[in-house]
Amino acid sequence: MAVEETGKLDALRQEIRAFLRKNLPKGWGTPEYVAPERGSKEAHELGKQWQKKLYDAGYTGFGVPKEYGGIERSREEMAVIREELTHTGAPPLAGSLGPSIVLPTLLRYGKEWQKKRFIPKILSGEESWCECFSEPNAGSDLANIQKTGVRDGDEWVVNGQSVWTSGAKFADWGVAPVRTDLKAPRHRNLSYFVFDCKSPGFEVRPLRQMTGDSEFGETFFDNMRIPHENMVGEEGKGWYVAMATLEAERGGGFQFLAPSRRIELTSLGGVDNFVELAKNTKRRGKVVWEDPVFRQRIAQFAIENEAMRYSRERMRVKAQKKQTTGNEQSISSIFSREKNQRQANMVAEIMGANIQFMKGDKRALDDGSWAYTFLRTRGNTIETGTTEINRGIIAERMLGLPKSRA
Amino acid sequence: MPIEYGLNEQQEMLKTMSRDFIAKECPMTRVRELMKDETGFSPELWKKMAELGWLGLVFPEEYGGTGMNFRDLTILLEEMGRTVLPSPFISTLLLAGLPILAFGTKEQKDEILPKIARGEVVCTLAALEEDGDWWADSINVRADRKGDQYVINGTKLFVPDAKVANYMLIAARTKRTENPEEGITLFLLDTREVWGILSTGLKTMDETRKQYEVVFVNVPVPAKNILGELHQGWPIMKQIALHTTAALCAEMVGAGEKALEMTVAYLKERVAFGVVIGSFQALQHRAADLVIGLEYARSLMEWAAEAIKEDDPDAITAVSMAKSFCGDTCKKVVAEGIQMHGGIGFTWDHDMHLYFKRVWASDTAFGDGSYHRELIAKALDEIHQLAGHGRWMKMPGRITQTG
Ligand SMILES: Cc1cc2nc3c(=O)[nH]c(=O)nc-3n(C[C@H](O)[C@H](O)[C@H](O)COP(=O)(O)OP(=O)(O)OC[C@H]3O[C@@H](n4cnc5c(N)ncnc54)[C@H](O)[C@@H]3O)c2cc1C
Repeated sequence: MAVEETGKLDALRQEIRAFLRKNLPKGWGTPEYVAPERGSKEAHELGKQWQKKLYDAGYTGFGVPKEYGGIERSREEMAVIREELTHTGAPPLAGSLGPSIVLPTLLRYGKEWQKKRFIPKILSGEESWCECFSEPNAGSDLANIQKTGVRDGDEWVVNGQSVWTSGAKFADWGVAPVRTDLKAPRHRNLSYFVFDCKSPGFEVRPLRQMTGDSEFGETFFDNMRIPHENMVGEEGKGWYVAMATLEAERGGGFQFLAPSRRIELTSLGGVDNFVELAKNTKRRGKVVWEDPVFRQRIAQFAIENEAMRYSRERMRVKAQKKQTTGNEQSISSIFSREKNQRQANMVAEIMGANIQFMKGDKRALDDGSWAYTFLRTRGNTIETGTTEINRGIIAERMLGLPKSRA
Repeated sequence: MPIEYGLNEQQEMLKTMSRDFIAKECPMTRVRELMKDETGFSPELWKKMAELGWLGLVFPEEYGGTGMNFRDLTILLEEMGRTVLPSPFISTLLLAGLPILAFGTKEQKDEILPKIARGEVVCTLAALEEDGDWWADSINVRADRKGDQYVINGTKLFVPDAKVANYMLIAARTKRTENPEEGITLFLLDTREVWGILSTGLKTMDETRKQYEVVFVNVPVPAKNILGELHQGWPIMKQIALHTTAALCAEMVGAGEKALEMTVAYLKERVAFGVVIGSFQALQHRAADLVIGLEYARSLMEWAAEAIKEDDPDAITAVSMAKSFCGDTCKKVVAEGIQMHGGIGFTWDHDMHLYFKRVWASDTAFGDGSYHRELIAKALDEIHQLAGHGRWMKMPGRITQTG
């Protein structure tokens, strides 16, 4: 690399460090820091503000055309940004579904005004989104959506219910496929909308999850009106738009940051925590890190992380060459989610009886975050399409096997 | 040059050409003939591979090569893996050619490399002994100094292609100290020039790759035939292991991908209960798992090859990661391959067992999954200590259990 470029990257590094010193929440990374309650309004607002700061500084928002608010950076710059943010353990972004699934859907199917209106505020974190797909009788079998929309002038009047809608309680906007044609067959009867969550007739009732939190809820549509211009893609073609959303979701969402080339600082990061835990935990008088069984398992996760990192890059290049179909996303979806679960199981086994302590108990390690993660990962293999459905996609669409039978 | 993802145009061509060539010159019927042959070596095929430039692929032009890189080489190896090709390719190039190129004297390189590139010779390495493990401590074959030459005595095992090898590298002990990695020396031997080498074919599972016991009885080697420095053979062997392990990963991934293709084809063809068995979800999901495994096996293998090509210090990590993951995955693919074929998959006439045996044989070479995972665990330990130990422990609410 040219000396000049290296100089520029070093300058960027210094700039990020100065930015972090100035902007990180007070006490961040020290024992004095008190994090807002997980899932609280306060935590959500903090995430939004943090995302806005990063966006304004040009540290997020990559890979999107400039006219929709995208930020242009070289791959090397992105890598430096990622390295610096990961290294500090900077706070997470707002965690809204906007960037991960709505943005790619709009880029692919959105009308020009929709892209101009919505994408910049998705990138800056100013507006949060929810996804009203699943219904009581339409989960894996999504095409069975029963929500109806009836045209009335320039508007559609929507009635029905969704369930398991993540982030609905803080969402400003939502996306929903709606049955706009009651006579057409499955897959051809849906239209896809973006809607304002403040619309009269839209209601959110939180549901409690096995973690005790309420990330998701039931959402009700009672004669709720959506302007016709809010339709994404064509009328009756909503299934295909929904598929684009699911594809983005399966792929783990939109890539804002280029994965780093450096193995020490990034992907091993998570594994480093396991090493730390294993070194600091004794079971029956023996340090866990010295137990070959756990060493093997932890090493395996480091291996799998690197495999995922390289695979992501392979897929990126394949996509550029138009050699992908989107079905490949099911591979990383299954692998990463099952890995999350296996990791959490291992942590639980390292901690033994102590994994039981939840947040609030003074004995809880890291204020119960390990116990929480252990429980939360149960949802990983269900949300965004179950791993069974994803295996079906690989079998039928990638391997060309016939539609399955029991 | 940065790491490249995916194949460039030239590599795509190499892949297509080699696939066509192997399909034509060495279909499975020919593989089976070579399995029955005592040496498993086809001089005609070897000549043709030389004509295509494969044998000099990674040598510079001055030695009759085409100066291509390690990643290019793995593309050929993947294709060879796809047909479990019986060939002394790895023996000649990875076990001998590359180390001679990297560590040989001008005379040694001038003498041997052009002959390899022209397909005139086969080479191999005699390293393993009775325990079959690749580690310094078990190298006990002795080379004793007598005047201006050394005399080699002892028995080597698992030596590939020994019977057809014109040149043999021998890892021998020239000194025993507390550190077993000290005092190993590599000797380069023209097998046609000396007496006292007795190669006996071993009856081993994988008949597509012949291995031998090689007994050395007072075999004299001139001191000028040392590769690298006296007593300093182990670092060279580490590099041989690094490169050959990556090569085996490429071969395993090729074999694994082919085995999966065969299995999927059978799932679409075999009828039971009035439907093709590929419509049974129990089998579909297991096939999907193999796709997932192979995606990550390939990813790690490509990373390892790129890292070697780039002389990246991460290569050691990458190769260990690749070996453990490719081995584990491909062993699963070939086992599932047999299972999903039912009875036919258990027969000698079906090809699946050839893949099964090749993959397992490769997995045992240069350390299996648990061996390499332990190396990674050691690396993690170092990284952990470097990365500012205790950073994470300052997080809120942390209770240290061991102080
Ligand atoms: C934490 C979490 C967050 C979520 N967030 C959202 C959200 O924001 N928006 C949203 O719309 N939805 C959300 N969901 C819902 C999620 O998408 C659905 O739960 C999921 O698609 C499964 O649907 P289901 O619950 O109806 O289960 P079902 O479809 O009834 O499945 C039950 C079981 O049957 C299996 N199964 C079903 N069909 C097949 C088949 N053909 N072959 C083999 N096995 C099959 C499934 O894999 C599963 O194991 C969330 C879920 C969770 C857990």
